[in-house]
Amino acid sequence: MMRSTPALFRATLGLVAWVGVMLHTVQTVGAEELVFGQSAALSGPARALGQGMRVGLLAAFEAVNQQGGIHGQRLVLDSLDDAYEPEAAIANTRELIRRNVFALVGAVGTPTSLAAQPIATEAGVPYLAPFTGAEFLRDAQLRPNVLNMRASYYQETEEMVARLTADLGVQRLGILYQNDSYGRAGLTGVRRAVARLNLPPVAEADYPRNTEAVKVALLDLRRSRPEAIVIIGAYRPAAALIRWARRLDFNPYFINISFVGSSALARELGPDGAGVYVTQVVPFPTDVSLPVVAHYQQALAAVDPESTPGFVSLEGYLAGRLVAEGLRLAGPNPTRTGFLDALRKAETIDLDGFLLRYGPADNQGSDQVYLTIIDSQGRFRSVQRMVPQ
Amino acid sequence: MSHDDRPVTTSGEALALRPSPSAEGVEPEKGRRLRLGIGPQLYIGLLGGVLLTLSASLVAYFSFHQIVQHGSRLTESSIPNLSSAVDAARQSSVVVNGALRLISASSLQEHGTVAEELAREQSALSTLIQELASQTAFGEQTRLIEDHLAELSVHLELIQQSAARRLVIAQALEGLKLELDETNRRIEQHIVTLIDDQDFYLVEGLRRLQDQPSPINERASETELTYSRDLTTLNHQANLSVLLLSNALALSDRGLLPPLRERFRSTVQNFRRAYERLSVRTPDSVLGTDLERLAQMGEADEGSAPLREESLPSLTSAVIDTGIIPLREETLLRLEQEEAALAKGRAASAMLLTEVNTLVEEINDEAVESSNAAQSAAQTGRLILGVLNILSISGALLIGWLFVGRYMIRRLVGLATAMRSMASGDLEVPVEVKGSDEVTDMANALEVFRRYALEVQRLNLVEKLAKELDAKNHTLEQTLEHLEQAQEQIVVEQKLASLGQLTAGVAHEIKNPLNFVSNFSEVSVELVDEIEEVMEEAKSGEVEMSEEITPILSDLRLNLQKVKEHSQRADGIVRSMLEHSRGGPGDWRETDLNALLKQYVDLSYHAMRANNTDFNVTLTQDLDPEMGMLTVVPQDIGRVFLNLVNNACQALDEKRQNSDGGFEPELRITSSRLEDHAEFDIRDNGPGIPEELRERIFEPFVTTKKPGEGTGLGLSLTMDILTRHGGSIHLDTEEGVFTEMRVILPLEPPQDTGHEPPAAAG
Repeated sequence: MMRSTPALFRATLGLVAWVGVMLHTVQTVGAEELVFGQSAALSGPARALGQGMRVGLLAAFEAVNQQGGIHGQRLVLDSLDDAYEPEAAIANTRELIRRNVFALVGAVGTPTSLAAQPIATEAGVPYLAPFTGAEFLRDAQLRPNVLNMRASYYQETEEMVARLTADLGVQRLGILYQNDSYGRAGLTGVRRAVARLNLPPVAEADYPRNTEAVKVALLDLRRSRPEAIVIIGAYRPAAALIRWARRLDFNPYFINISFVGSSALARELGPDGAGVYVTQVVPFPTDVSLPVVAHYQQALAAVDPESTPGFVSLEGYLAGRLVAEGLRLAGPNPTRTGFLDALRKAETIDLDGFLLRYGPADNQGSDQVYLTIIDSQGRFRSVQRMVPQ
Repeated sequence: MSHDDRPVTTSGEALALRPSPSAEGVEPEKGRRLRLGIGPQLYIGLLGGVLLTLSASLVAYFSFHQIVQHGSRLTESSIPNLSSAVDAARQSSVVVNGALRLISASSLQEHGTVAEELAREQSALSTLIQELASQTAFGEQTRLIEDHLAELSVHLELIQQSAARRLVIAQALEGLKLELDETNRRIEQHIVTLIDDQDFYLVEGLRRLQDQPSPINERASETELTYSRDLTTLNHQANLSVLLLSNALALSDRGLLPPLRERFRSTVQNFRRAYERLSVRTPDSVLGTDLERLAQMGEADEGSAPLREESLPSLTSAVIDTGIIPLREETLLRLEQEEAALAKGRAASAMLLTEVNTLVEEINDEAVESSNAAQSAAQTGRLILGVLNILSISGALLIGWLFVGRYMIRRLVGLATAMRSMASGDLEVPVEVKGSDEVTDMANALEVFRRYALEVQRLNLVEKLAKELDAKNHTLEQTLEHLEQAQEQIVVEQKLASLGQLTAGVAHEIKNPLNFVSNFSEVSVELVDEIEEVMEEAKSGEVEMSEEITPILSDLRLNLQKVKEHSQRADGIVRSMLEHSRGGPGDWRETDLNALLKQYVDLSYHAMRANNTDFNVTLTQDLDPEMGMLTVVPQDIGRVFLNLVNNACQALDEKRQNSDGGFEPELRITSSRLEDHAEFDIRDNGPGIPEELRERIFEPFVTTKKPGEGTGLGLSLTMDILTRHGGSIHLDTEEGVFTEMRVILPLEPPQDTGHEPPAAAG
């Protein structure tokens, strides 16, 4: 009796452990590796964004995998192209969930996220660090599976308006926005910001998504003689607008939102880019004084020696680091809920100097908005405030 | 245990004495009789039950045969007919519903499943109808039903094929819709960019960044304005055609399709014309291809006339991409046809149902008739069965009660009771079970076992008793030893006590000789004085001395002899007293029993008189002069005599005190020597000994005297002493009249006294 009791006890423990492992296996993808899904624009006019996010995520994952993964699990990224079209984003998201990815990460764009996120929410799959500042994703109650990393568009536009009015004394503000949910989100943000200052925009113009048909909009904006134009758009139409404006000797301050795709914008603009502002939600990608940026550069060079550091791939890298941190906090054999809870309940998450903090009602990690300007060499510089031209 | 209780069924003595008696003890008696074991008994009982059941079943069979014959009409014709008819009715509605599901099927897969199901249901329906037709005599109805069924099948076939084709078309339309969306987005992005460029040019005169601005007259030329207008028209007409096609996809009224087709044709014509003009300036093959595809997607064959039923492609032909509008037209037309076929099918089904209903009613009538007949037959059968059941049950009960209850169980219970009582230790009751089967065998075996057990029990008991006896014996021996010691002590005490008693007698006895001694001595002194006188006288010579002295001296000698005699007598008395009171066993001696008797009678008598002056008794002594000498322990025998005489004297004194003076106490002492023994009788005419005491008079501590007067040991000691001498004592008494104690002593002392025989001593 006395001898058989420990044996029985061990057997019971074993059984419990086995059942536990089986239950975990049901929720996780596999013991060896953990697959994350990404639906993003890998082709089309916004492809630079999707590709940037992807390479950043890969850099972070690879760096983690080089060190043996998280709790022995390698991180794998499964990316599908949606060309920045909502219909494709829906199909991709369904496919990735069918492939039983642990979480969706690094989606690009507001209209795509608007289409894909409800599918992920319904399936209970985490929707992590999408490359968008849209406000609807920041409702933690309605979207328990969403964790944002970056500051919201509202915060970006608020910073824009604050800088323009405070630093430059701008009174006449024009807005160019993409005629979709992204553009309207930015528009609403700007309107909210200026409404507080009692400075209604003098002109609002739009262009259709995935086109560069911005010239008539430019004419419409010019007519109102704005001192500054806030652009809520993609890098190609934004570049087209700025270049044509320069061509017409129409030189208000141009300020773009982070989603524009900074490097691509600078490349498109060439010499016309000098003096164009872009707000950022991640640190300056060449500022290696920040440890996380140094690590990012090493990781990026490791996966793609050709690529140069940029804001988008840094955001992708940070998203990858956030995922790794969440897995580390959740412990071995993580469940999706356990993973999300681990991040939510963590105190300040310090990704080598980039600080994130979540809470029960706060699903956005960072509130940081950085201001950058393109110099005459077509390079970005980080600035604290705007200066008159 | 009395052996009379033993049952006659077994020979008790033989069983009790012999170790393996059953074979010889029981069987020979029973073997001769017919033996019926439990098995055979049970089988006979069962056979009885089976016979009863069998007879019941037989009767039941015959009565049920009756019912079955009535019922078979119902089950063989009416009920199957009825149920097939009902099944057919149900089945036909299943089939019609299946047709409806076919029409509303949303995918080919669903259609296929439903079609398969429907085919099965249809064949099930025809099977049912055929069964019905073959089983019933109602030929007219079944023929009509078959006709309706055939008609229903035709409609179903049409619906199935048409619906299948519709679904294929729907798939094609789904693809076209996606393509339409994609094409539309491309066209729009193209045209929007072109319009944006043209509008900007009209204002700024710039087409490319590096261009120089065009002069204003060039910008506002008719060519540019027409170009702008064509772009607008193109945009508008392309949008409109997409809208029309979207409408066509959603349209459900076929009548609205022809006007829609007309409008689509005109929009196509318009955007073609506009594109034609502007493509001259900015040839854009992508946009041109997209626009042409848009036109084709609407209508591949632009000259085609509206579809009519006659011009419908055959159901089996492949679906060709003829454009959204014709495909939609065909879909709607086929849907109409299917609905019509469904309506006809429903009608046929309704007719079929009506016919089936009629059939059902007719069959039902027949069934009711058969059922009534069967019911009455069942009633009769039920009654018979009821009676049979009662008979069977009472028969079974009777067998159970008679055999199992009365016979088996009672005997088994008897056996069990016997076993229980044996188990509880009662081995005395014999096991008795009547009959001649295994139960009896068991009973007999149990009886044998019981006897063994009893025997063993007895042996155990004897052994136990022997042990106990041994122990008691040992105790008794010890007690005896103690008693003997006590007895010796008591004897000594008794001696001392009797000495005390005798003191007075002794004193009297001694006093007598002393008186004599004293008197004779006095006389002798006087005689001496006389002699002195004589001698004085003689001196003086007054008298002759010798003559005078000689008579006096002779008197003196006589006196002194008397003194000596009486002194010796006193000395004898004292010596015998000493002997009497000396402890320890006395010596065997030749003794004059008469003298001994007389001495102790005198002692006792005088002691009595000394204690009680009133006491008087007439003492008669009749002693046999031939008595002579016997070898005895004189002090012991003396004590016997003393005891007996004392008792007699005390009894006489008691009686004298209780009487009123008329009583004359008498004590008679007799001795006689007979041929082989001597007898000594001590007889008084005292109160006698009561009847109840006579038996116990020689036991120790039994006494008639008052407490303190006697030890109760006298007669007991007397008995012991006499026993040691090989003699005995006998009591003869009559209450209120006399008591006689006769002591008998052998002439020769016993050999085993442990003392040397007197001859050897002599």
